[in-house]
Amino acid sequence: MIIDCHVHIHQYYEDLEDCGGSLLPAADRMGIDKLCVSVLLGGEQPAMEDIVRSNDTVARAIERYPDRYVGYCYLNPCYLLQSLDEINRCIVDGPCRGIKLWVAMHSDQPNLDPIADRAAELQVPILQHTWIKTTGNLANEPEPRHLAALAARHPEVNFICGHSGGNWERGLKTVADLPNVYAELAGGDPEMGQTERAVGLVGAERVVWGSDADGRSFASQISKVLGADISETQKAAILGGNMERLVQR
Amino acid sequence: MTIDCNANIGRWPFRRLSYSDPAGLLERLGRCDIRQAWVGAFEAVLARDCHMENAPLADAVSGHEALLPLATINPEFPRWEQDLCACVHSYGFRGIRVYPNYHLYTLDDPRFEALLTAAEELDVFVALAVRMTDERHHFPRCMIPPVDLGPLPALAGRHPKLRLLVVNGNNGDVGRIAGAIEGLPNLYFEMSRFESVCGVETVARRIGVERVLFGTHAPYYYPESALLKITRECRFTASEQEAILGGNAERLLGR
Repeated sequence: MIIDCHVHIHQYYEDLEDCGGSLLPAADRMGIDKLCVSVLLGGEQPAMEDIVRSNDTVARAIERYPDRYVGYCYLNPCYLLQSLDEINRCIVDGPCRGIKLWVAMHSDQPNLDPIADRAAELQVPILQHTWIKTTGNLANEPEPRHLAALAARHPEVNFICGHSGGNWERGLKTVADLPNVYAELAGGDPEMGQTERAVGLVGAERVVWGSDADGRSFASQISKVLGADISETQKAAILGGNMERLVQR
Repeated sequence: MTIDCNANIGRWPFRRLSYSDPAGLLERLGRCDIRQAWVGAFEAVLARDCHMENAPLADAVSGHEALLPLATINPEFPRWEQDLCACVHSYGFRGIRVYPNYHLYTLDDPRFEALLTAAEELDVFVALAVRMTDERHHFPRCMIPPVDLGPLPALAGRHPKLRLLVVNGNNGDVGRIAGAIEGLPNLYFEMSRFESVCGVETVARRIGVERVLFGTHAPYYYPESALLKITRECRFTASEQEAILGGNAERLLGR
């Protein structure tokens, strides 16, 4: 079972009605069984109407491809009360099985605590985009250190450290000692050694594979696991076993 | 035969890499059934006098017929003309690598065109590196922007017998000049950084499959990345695959 934990089904397709269907043949060719998807309309600071429209698209995608798509509920934590309502709408009453946070707020901020509390109650993971850019992060773009602070306050919640911070040497070391943080391989260049380092620092049981498609190539991203000098058992855990466990409800 | 037109050996200063010696690289590429690679020397990228790395590169790959070494030439550095002649006549290099932004010149610099003129006369191809690694993760005291390829089509047009290969360019880099390369069959593009789902196919349909060369950027990248893009993710025909994986490289070499 191969599960891609980080897919966007809208970014390069203007027609949201496609619901990511045009991605699936390529996923099929790569042997990817399930894709955990989000839609991120509205830019860096999405309004609630953008959030709702994003999550509606995800719900439609799951309805159309129920065996292929697993949904994230996208949130802008700046709208805290509405975010909690959106969790109820999309996870309690809807098909989503995780929470997706992008660049609207540093994840160490207090607004994230009620969201993490709710994730704990519902036993769903939180996928948080993180990046450390020499060229400069976006205004509120989280780094792994922000996520680490939140994860330390909520040991009962499983967090996925999106992209392992991009600068994975630093990102992996930042989250390595937090047993509730999973290191995610998605989105960066297919740099040899990343997966081996992740396994060495956090353990194969806490590494998850994702692509960040469709901005990224499924092929370039899955090469990080298929080409890594790790055992077949470790590859199976990273490619799907760990994520399957995380999104079970 | 699959030919990797964009590989390296040696020590990359910002990360210790596995498989960076000639035998190790060949063993690693061999796992992907890649039987020939064109290699530059990592050390030449940041060496003050990059020519000092050319003879060691030639020595390092001697005895490894599957490795075709590419000399590094910097036209901003004194006596580059003599260095180039030595590389061709004394060491037998058949191609050169240039790193304009690491070596502090732009493509509209007259010294760059002088290098292209010399390469054309000596019948060696030129591989131009747009970048080496993701700019977002550069060492803070060593931030190197990517090369602006804007002047390249005009240069290729003025040197029709020169074979020019762009390596480590991404979809955007290529897209910005794609409208200006028609009628320039001497301009080729290596695909290791072509991203997005089926991104290699998208770019190849725009610029022509015959211009796209297979490259891994190993050992910095996992070589499986490039291979899986061509053989599994994209929907190339068998003949298109053959061209990208090796045929186009053979044609560039003049075989």
